[in-house]
Amino acid sequence: MSKVKGILFAAGLALASLAAPVAAQKAFPIANLSPLSGPAAAFGIGVNRGIELAAEDIGTFSIGADRFKVELRQYDTVLDPAKTVAALNRAVLNDSVRYGFILGAGVHAPILPIIRQNGFFDIFMGAAGRTVTNPDNPTVFRFMSSSDQLYHTFTAALYQKLNVKRVAFLGPNDDLGRSDARTLREIVSSQMKGQVEFVGEEFFPRGEKDFQPALLRILAQKPDAIDTDASPTGTIALIAKQARELGYQGYFFSSTAVLEAKPIVDIAGKGADNIIAYRVWAKPPTPLYQEIAERHQKKYNEAALGTVWESYAATRWVVEAIQKAGTFDTKKVAAVLEGMTFDKHPFGPASWGAEKAYGIRRQIQTPIPASIIRNGQWETLDVRQSTFE
Amino acid sequence: MTAQLLLQGLAIGVVNGILYVLTALGLTLIYGILHIVNFAHGEVFMLGAMGVYYLYVIGKIPLVVALALIVLLAMVSGLLVERAFFRRLRGQWLQLVVASVGISLIVQSLSWIVFGAQEKHVPSILPGVVEWAGVRMPRERLLAAAVSLLLVAGLYWFVQRTRTGLAMRAIEEDEETARMLGVDADRVAALAVGLGFVLAALGGAFVAPIYSLNPGMGLEAIIMCFIIVIIGGLGSITGTLLAGLLIGVLQSVGAIALGSEAAQVLVFVAMIAVLVLRPAGLLGKA
Repeated sequence: MSKVKGILFAAGLALASLAAPVAAQKAFPIANLSPLSGPAAAFGIGVNRGIELAAEDIGTFSIGADRFKVELRQYDTVLDPAKTVAALNRAVLNDSVRYGFILGAGVHAPILPIIRQNGFFDIFMGAAGRTVTNPDNPTVFRFMSSSDQLYHTFTAALYQKLNVKRVAFLGPNDDLGRSDARTLREIVSSQMKGQVEFVGEEFFPRGEKDFQPALLRILAQKPDAIDTDASPTGTIALIAKQARELGYQGYFFSSTAVLEAKPIVDIAGKGADNIIAYRVWAKPPTPLYQEIAERHQKKYNEAALGTVWESYAATRWVVEAIQKAGTFDTKKVAAVLEGMTFDKHPFGPASWGAEKAYGIRRQIQTPIPASIIRNGQWETLDVRQSTFE
Repeated sequence: MTAQLLLQGLAIGVVNGILYVLTALGLTLIYGILHIVNFAHGEVFMLGAMGVYYLYVIGKIPLVVALALIVLLAMVSGLLVERAFFRRLRGQWLQLVVASVGISLIVQSLSWIVFGAQEKHVPSILPGVVEWAGVRMPRERLLAAAVSLLLVAGLYWFVQRTRTGLAMRAIEEDEETARMLGVDADRVAALAVGLGFVLAALGGAFVAPIYSLNPGMGLEAIIMCFIIVIIGGLGSITGTLLAGLLIGVLQSVGAIALGSEAAQVLVFVAMIAVLVLRPAGLLGKA
């Protein structure tokens, strides 16, 4: 009997020793409050994948004596403000999540009070400028370029280089589309007065696939360039294809939208020529970018979605900041993160800036390319970049 | 607005309207026989488009064979859905609505997983543009509209001139009397659902080379279908055709004259006006 007890005791000890490291490893939940269904689902699914790839690379990390592993929690917002409010309340109050990606500037107005009240760490993926990024929101860090950042960096120089005299806007009829149209109008009237004319704007519901009616009205104004900002790859490709079918031969500009290079050419064919995008890399800017592209293709069996890069970098950077702060307290982590630079961003070295524009250092600064499609291939567009401080 | 711009708008409106009609007809056919508002119709449209992508583009199956396979699969799916859900819930309006919404959500969720989020495209089957009197129209749209129009005519002939079509109309008029006269209502209803699914799938298949594809594309299609069948009159083939053309022209000419956002509003204003003035739709039966 004692022998049996001894064996059981030893077995118990062995099991306990095996279980010990598992029990010590805790979950660090990162929420993804993004559209995971509906017309903008590709954006949210890209964020999921960026977090997953980063979690693989992070493995486990230590805070004090405890070890943590990144755990993705998904909340489908369908890019709808009311659903985002419900999702954030569920994440914060029910699931005790304190860090999360929230995608879309348009959904932010009603959730900012919840973010401020709970000190939620918002890994913001959205383009509209100061309405979200300002001193009232110290735990909101924008991990992608903002519309005004991109417009200010490129627009004037590019219009001059390409001899654009008349520009029109065609974008989604949500906050982002309207905000981008407003920014473009302001830049044209303030920086390019007398040289470039803003000749018209049209808006469409997200998910729209037929742009010919809207294009007819725009093309009647004879623009040299159409700004198709704030739209995903498929939409921009369809706009280009349908505009060419109506005889348009000018340029298309896309600054904030996260475009995937191959599908846009696949859909628009020859019509994709002269599409200019500010966040598409003609060549991988870093070995890490290339590595992520290959891993994404292997793991998900398709080319990397446009939000993968920034969500990958954000997850890693936030975890580094937490480790450096030695705490999950979001305000302390925000204070540490603000002063950090980051060398594991797929686009290249990253830091925080735009304090002059937004009154707070919460806008990511990374190398940003301008690329143009020529003969079905992305080519780097050599252009003088303005600074956005 | 110049005359040429108006002509271009009219041409785009008519072609787009015909493309809407094919999918909307499936919806109206099912409603006419079963009085079911099939919310899963948009998903069948999406699966038809995805079918072209996976069979023709990825599988390299000849287009005609791919279309035949899509027709076959859609018919079988329609028969199965009718047998498994619609027949069991006949007459229970709310349960049927919930069931079709449920099917729609399940199909869409699975599609995001299976097909992925990346936009897909089908290369143009007939590239190029036809230009006449300054009006430009892509050849692929003209082809899709022409084939759709042929199918609409075929469906009209089928419903008006065949015994099965007569049985369909009899059930639509008065199911109980039709049953008493020996019409096998279950068989006819199954065929109507099968045909409705085929029309939706073909609607998706025909627009596949024109638009890009993603699993969410069915939602846009179903909204437009609902508007068209409400304006045309639920259950009316000619009403659906008329409403499709009307909506297409309203959208394009309205966009030129008032802007695309106002044109969207115009479509809904037209729908509400019809609901108020002719609740059964333009050619629907009260």
